[in-house]
Amino acid sequence: MELHPNALCFGSELPASGAPCLVRFGGQGLTVTFASESSAGWSEEVPFTALSVSVGGLDHDQLVLKWNGDRGERALYLKDADLIRSFRRSAPEQLHVPFEQAAELARLARRRRRMVWGVVAGVVLVLSAGLWWGGDLLVALAVERIPPEWEQKLGESAYRDFLAHQDIIKEGPAVSAVQEMTRRLVEQIPNNPYRFEVSVVKSDVVNAFALPGGYVVVFTGLLRQAASAEEVAGVLGHELSHVLQRHGLERIVKRLGLVVAASIVFGDQQGLVGLMKRFGVELMTLKFGREQETEADRTGLHLLYRAKIDPSGMIRFFERLSEKDEGRMEWLSTHPMSHGRAERLKTELAAMPRLSPVPFTFEWAAVRESVGAPLSAEP
Amino acid sequence: MRSEILYPGAFPMVRVELAAGEQLKAESGAMVGASPTIDVESKMEGGFLGALSRKLLTGEKFFFQTLRASRGPGEVLLAPTVLGEIVVLELDGVNEYMVQKDGFLAGAETVTIESKMQSFTRGLMGGEGFFILKIGGKGTLILNSFGAIHRIDLKPDQEYIVDNSHMVAWSATTSYTIERASSGWVASFTSGEGFVCRFRGPGVVYIQSRNPGGFGAWIRQFIPVSE
Ligand SMILES: [Zn+2]
Repeated sequence: MELHPNALCFGSELPASGAPCLVRFGGQGLTVTFASESSAGWSEEVPFTALSVSVGGLDHDQLVLKWNGDRGERALYLKDADLIRSFRRSAPEQLHVPFEQAAELARLARRRRRMVWGVVAGVVLVLSAGLWWGGDLLVALAVERIPPEWEQKLGESAYRDFLAHQDIIKEGPAVSAVQEMTRRLVEQIPNNPYRFEVSVVKSDVVNAFALPGGYVVVFTGLLRQAASAEEVAGVLGHELSHVLQRHGLERIVKRLGLVVAASIVFGDQQGLVGLMKRFGVELMTLKFGREQETEADRTGLHLLYRAKIDPSGMIRFFERLSEKDEGRMEWLSTHPMSHGRAERLKTELAAMPRLSPVPFTFEWAAVRESVGAPLSAEP
Repeated sequence: MRSEILYPGAFPMVRVELAAGEQLKAESGAMVGASPTIDVESKMEGGFLGALSRKLLTGEKFFFQTLRASRGPGEVLLAPTVLGEIVVLELDGVNEYMVQKDGFLAGAETVTIESKMQSFTRGLMGGEGFFILKIGGKGTLILNSFGAIHRIDLKPDQEYIVDNSHMVAWSATTSYTIERASSGWVASFTSGEGFVCRFRGPGVVYIQSRNPGGFGAWIRQFIPVSE
């Protein structure tokens, strides 16, 4: 007789994947007929009173009937819809309640799953819409949730990695000058969460950069090319503003994508540091956006003003930048130049009350000389 | 249909003998050789959309290939892309297996293959993607693994914990929940690591003795990086 199994039976002496069997429901109980070779044709009758009812399987879509038989504990897994209907028809009243409870559980699981997918679809939709209209808002929200300590960790590891391959100037006029400028600027930052650290690196590159968390690098190239200390201070003011405004972080989050931004907003953020470390190298070449540049210019100007450092140095530096001294002004590659940058700052400065600057304690000519600039030549 | 595993171990191959008119579904690219009586057709299981969704969503590298003994009996030789064991299961019409997307090598014509959407958490954390294959029906099913394949038998309500990247296939009567093995789910989510599956019987779970992602990471350190 060819048997068409419609269920799987589990028990201690049966195969772990379940023994295929034919289940039929009668007035008093069920009959299980085994199909597997070892126990082919062998039948077992179980009264309804011995059965317990539950749901099982990965998707909670199987009806599980358990009983304690002569051969120990048995479990039947049924998923055939007709068979389940037949069970419902023939099962006595006392099994209806557990059956309905089991069915309700299965329905709930299905509904919950559909709901989760619905929510996911909704979130994806909202996110795509958000990306379209308010991606920046989401990025800002995400950045806001990243604690400064992590930013510091990230910036520090990139900073140390970078410095490991550089010729650092440890002391001398250039170092103390840059430190003095930084100190005067940092003093003016209210509720400063960062511990700024500055290094002077020997290089012809006319640039300076600040990593997230407050790690600043100034290249000797910039010191050689700057006509006054105020110009360098202007660049520092701008760089510190990038840090304070967390522009680097914004760029990273943007680069990592919306999914990560969303996970930071909605989920926990611990894995982010590790993820960002992989992007650590890119921090150095991180290009800021035009809006970020404008913002850093503006706040940098105000910072200089509050520190009583003549902001016209910054303006002068920008003017010289826009004179298109290509190739030498690497600063442009990480800080895209937009038109009228110097003009905008001039207007901004003109609207502020007149400032009587407090000079630096160092001699600029000596600083420049210490980094190898020609004695009197105008850069 | 008769099948035989040749060279069991890391570099196995399976020989399947087909009677005249019989056919076999195989992962495309799995065929190593065949008798001249065998015809190869690329058939799209589940229609074009089914195949496309499988390709896009499970990231499978294939549309199935159908190998048909149209001109008389013959044999085909099949081998997986990765090094690892092959296992042959005989489906009895009641047992169903959930198979992780790279685990399928071949199956008889009477074996049904369905892409199934998983629950969101399982899809996100499980490491086998949002879609897995649900394989049922009757006949021969051939699976492959990365490394050796190990079978875990679970009695009803018996539990076992498996690292998610080692899962190959498991019977539909088992259920599992995802648990976090370590903290930091953004990292886990991008690397696919750090999650374990707590399986609950009855049923069987096939796992692979090597982790493809881990192996990839290990290989990567030997690849010179150009600046
Ligand atoms: Zn800038």
